[in-house]
Amino acid sequence: MAFLELAGLRKNYGAFQAVKGIDLAVEKGQLVCLLGPSGCGKTTTLRLIAGFVPANGGEIRVGGKVVSSEHSTVPPEGRNMSMIFQSYALWPHMTVFQNVAYGLKLRKLPADEVRRRVDEILASTRLSALAERYPGELSGGQQQRVSLARALVIKPEILLLDEPLSNLDANLREEMRFEIRRLHDEFRYTTVYVTHDQSEAMTTADLIVVMNDGLIEQAGSPEDIYARPETEFVARFIGGTNILKGRRGDGQTVLRDDGLALVCRSGTVAPDGQTAVSVRHHDIVLSKDRPGDSGSNAAAGTVVRQIYLGSHRDYLVSLKDGETVRALAPVDFAVPAGQEVWMRFPPERCRALSR
Amino acid sequence: MAVITDTTLNDDRRRKGVDLSWPTFGFLAALLGVLVILPLFWLIWYSFRTSGRRPEFTLQNYVSLVTDPAMLRSYALAIGMALAVGILSCLIATPMAWLVARTDLPGKRWIRMLVTASFVTPPFLGAIAYEIIAAPNSGLVNIIYRSALGLSADSYLVNIYSFPGLVFAIACFTFPFVFTLVANALDRVPSDLEDASSILGGGAMTTLRKVTIPMVLPAMLAGTLIAILQALTMFGSPAIIALPAGFHVITTKIWSLFQFPPKPGLAAAAAIPLLLITIVLLRAQKAILGRRGYTVLGGKSGTPRITELGRWKWAAIAFVGVILSLTIILPYLALVKTAFTGTIGDAISFDTLTLRHWKFVLFEFSATQLALRNTFVLGVMTATIVTAVALVVSYLVTRKSLPGARYLGVLATAPVAIPGIVLGVALFLSYANPMFQLYGTIWILLIAFMTIELPAGYQQMSSAFQGVHPELEEAGRILGASRLKTLWDITAPLLRTSVVAAWCFVFVGTIRELSATILLTTANTKLVSVIIYDLNESGDLGAICVLGIILLAISFAVVFVANRLPVLGGSQMNARG
Ligand SMILES: Nc1ncnc2c1ncn2[C@@H]1O[C@H](COP(=O)(O)OP(=O)(O)OP(=O)(O)O)[C@@H](O)[C@H]1O
Ligand SMILES: [Mg+2]
Repeated sequence: MAFLELAGLRKNYGAFQAVKGIDLAVEKGQLVCLLGPSGCGKTTTLRLIAGFVPANGGEIRVGGKVVSSEHSTVPPEGRNMSMIFQSYALWPHMTVFQNVAYGLKLRKLPADEVRRRVDEILASTRLSALAERYPGELSGGQQQRVSLARALVIKPEILLLDEPLSNLDANLREEMRFEIRRLHDEFRYTTVYVTHDQSEAMTTADLIVVMNDGLIEQAGSPEDIYARPETEFVARFIGGTNILKGRRGDGQTVLRDDGLALVCRSGTVAPDGQTAVSVRHHDIVLSKDRPGDSGSNAAAGTVVRQIYLGSHRDYLVSLKDGETVRALAPVDFAVPAGQEVWMRFPPERCRALSR
Repeated sequence: MAVITDTTLNDDRRRKGVDLSWPTFGFLAALLGVLVILPLFWLIWYSFRTSGRRPEFTLQNYVSLVTDPAMLRSYALAIGMALAVGILSCLIATPMAWLVARTDLPGKRWIRMLVTASFVTPPFLGAIAYEIIAAPNSGLVNIIYRSALGLSADSYLVNIYSFPGLVFAIACFTFPFVFTLVANALDRVPSDLEDASSILGGGAMTTLRKVTIPMVLPAMLAGTLIAILQALTMFGSPAIIALPAGFHVITTKIWSLFQFPPKPGLAAAAAIPLLLITIVLLRAQKAILGRRGYTVLGGKSGTPRITELGRWKWAAIAFVGVILSLTIILPYLALVKTAFTGTIGDAISFDTLTLRHWKFVLFEFSATQLALRNTFVLGVMTATIVTAVALVVSYLVTRKSLPGARYLGVLATAPVAIPGIVLGVALFLSYANPMFQLYGTIWILLIAFMTIELPAGYQQMSSAFQGVHPELEEAGRILGASRLKTLWDITAPLLRTSVVAAWCFVFVGTIRELSATILLTTANTKLVSVIIYDLNESGDLGAICVLGIILLAISFAVVFVANRLPVLGGSQMNARG
C-alpha cells in the first residue's frame, strides 16, 4: 500500500469542476511533481492534500488513514504536513529563528531541543548567519531557504511545495532546484511538488504526474514521460516534438494521407479512426539525398526557415501537404530556405499515440 | 536511509478543536441585527402609530408631516442650506486643491496638513467659535467694528445668526471633504493626459478646461455630495446658530418634537424622508466615484505637472491665507482667547488673562466630572467593542470562511446611511419603553455610538485584512496551529497598527458625537459634547472654550498614547508579503 493515496478525488467550485477525479499513489520517500499548464488544477490538488479545501468526492489517505473525503476533512493542523507557498509566506514580524522555531514551539518541545533543531536545520540550509534577521532584510533566495527550513524542521510526514521557484530569477532557480533535491535526498520526505516548468520537473522528480484540465494524463518516471508519452498532450507538453496524424496501417504502422508510412517501434496505434505519431525534433535525421534504406519512414520537404543556433541548426520543413515539421541538424548541414531536403524518422524514435 | 518522521510528536495534535465559527457568526448576526435592523424597524413602526395610552395604526403622522407648514419649511430650509453649503464648499475647496496639488505655491505640505487636521474639530465647536467671532452683539468682529467707528451698541458688521451665517459656519467644516478628494484626484491624474492635450495645441486654459477639470469632476461632485449630506444631517451647528436666528432646519425640528409635549410618532415620520435622502445621496456618490470611464488606468505616470504661478503667486497666497484664517486659524484663536480671558470683549493683556473659566469648569461646575468620566468611558468602550466586532466581521468576510459572511459586512456598513438624529429617534423609540428601560442609562448611548461608528471601523479593518496575505495564515495552519492560534500568533500582530488606528478613529469620532446623543442623554448621562451644548444655551462661552480645548486635548492625547504603548505598536516590523 502506498503512503499517500488519492482515490477518485474531486473538487468543484460551484458548477466548475477544478479537479475531476484523480487517482494517484505515492510511495514513502518519493518526490512527485505535479506538472501541467496553468489552470489545470495543480494548486487545487495540493490544497486538497493539505486540507485547506474540502473534497467534493473521493478520498485522500495517508498511511492508510482517510484524511479527506466527501464527508469529513481533517484540518491542516492535524495532518503533520508542511507546505512551501509560492509567496513563501514568511511572517514579517518574526525573525528567521522565530519563523523556523514556530512549528516546534507549537509541539511544546523543550526550549533547548527547539534551539538545537533550529540550529541544525539552519546549518543545513546555510542560514545560520542570518538567524536574527527579519524576512524583509533577506534576498529572495534566502527567503526561499527560510521557508524550506521552516517546513522541514518539524519533520513532516509529507512536504508540499507550490511552485516554490517561480519568484526567483533563472540562476537562483537552478541553484534552488538542486538544493531542494539535495535536502530531499538528505531527509527523504514524501514530497509533492507543483510546477508548470517541465525542466524543473525532469531534474527533481522521482515521479512526474502530468495533469490537464482537472485530470491526470500520465504518471511515470521522468524517462517514461519523456521517452514513452502515452498521449499527444504529454508528448507536446514535455520537450519539443512533432505530432504527425494518420490512419492505422499494418501492425505498428501509421499511414499519412500524403503516402508517408511511419513504422513505430513503441506506443499503441489507435485501432480505428485517426491516430498520431510523435517524433522529437532532434530525432529526425536530415539529408540532401533520399536515404538509402526502405520506402517507409522517410519523406521529402521544402525548407521554410533555417536558424543557426551555434551548436546546431533549427529547421522548419514543410511536407507536400503543407504540414510543417521541426528538426534539428548538425551545424555543418546547411540548406537554405526554399530548397528540398529529405527527412528520416527512425522507427525506434517514432512513438505511436492512440490519444 | 532512515525516514525521519516523529509520529509520536503528532498524535496529541490529531484531536480536533471545537469549531467556533458558527456560534461566532450567529452571535455577530444577532448583534448587528439588534444594532442596525431593530431600530429602523421600530422607527417605521412608530411612524404609523398614534401616541397615547392605546396606540393604533394611523397615517396621521405622515399627514401632519406634509400639511404642517412649519415642518415643510424646516425641510425646505435644510435642503436649501445643504445645497448652499455644498456649492460653497466646492467653490472654496476646488481652487485650493488645485493650488496645492498642481502649482508651485509655497508651503503646500503645511496647507494640506492644516486642512486635514481640521477634520478633528467637532463641528459644533466651530459653530461656537463663530458665535464668539461674529455674534451681532458680543462678537469680536462687531465689537472692534463698533469701537473703531464709534457706533451705537445695536449696529453690527456681520451676523452669524442668519441663514448665510449658518451656511458659512457649516461650509468651514465641510470643505475639507471636497478638498481632500479633489487634491487626491489631481495627484493621480497622470500628466501625460494633459501633455497630450498641450501637444495637440491646447493652450494652458484649454487644457485645464477640457482635460483636467473633466478628470477631477467626479471627485468634485462626490465631495460636494458628502458636504451636502453632512450639512443636511448635522444637528450641532444649526442648533447653535439657526435657533437664535429664529428658524429651524429639519434636524433641530425633529429634536424640538421631543420637547414637551413629546410627539415621537411625528418625529419618526419626519425622520424617514431624511433617511431616504441620505440613502439616495450615498448611492449617487458611489455611482459617480464608481464610474469606469473616469478611473485613470495604469498608475505609471510621471509626477503631476506643476504650473508656475508667476505674478499670480501673491494673489494665490492671499486667497489660501484668507480661507485658512477664516476656517481654521481664527476660530481656534477665538476659542483659546475666550478660554483665558474674562469676557469675550476683553482686550488681550496681562490684566485680562485669567484661569477663572478653567477653575469653574474643573472644580466648581458640578456636571463636568461626570461628563468627562462618561465621555471617556463611553469612548473607550465604543472604540474597543467596535474594533473587536469589526475585526471579527472583516475576518469572516475577507477570508470567506462561512457562506453567509458577506451579509455581515453589508450589515456593518449599513449605518453610514442612517443620520445621527434619525438613529437617535429610532433608539429612543426602541429602548425608551417599559420593556427595555435603557433610556437614561449610558447603555443606550453605547448602542448609539456602536451603530454610528461600525461602518468606519469595519471599513478600516477590512482593508487591513486585505493587506494580510491568506498564505501567511495558511502557513501557520499547516505547521500545526489551530485557526484561533493562527489568528492570535500571526494575524493579530500583523494587524496591530491598523487596529490601533481604527480604535483611535472610533474613539475620536465617539467623543464628539452630538446628533444622536442629544435625544438620548439625560441629567445622569451627560457627556462633554452635551454640556457644551447646554452651556451655550446659558451663554457661558468661556467655560465652553475650556471644555472644547479639553475635548481636543483628550483626542490628541489618546491618539498619541495609543501609538506609543509598547504592547500595541512600536516593535520592529518589516512588512513584506
Ligand atoms: N477559489 C476558487 N473559486 C473558483 N474557482 C477556482 C478557485 N480556485 C481555483 N479555481 C479554478 O480552478 C481551476 C484550477 O485552479 P488551480 O489554482 O488549481 O490551477 P493551477 O493548475 O494551480 O494553475 P497555475 O499554474 O496557474 O497556478 C482554475 O480554472 C481556477 O480558475
Ligand atoms: Mg497554482
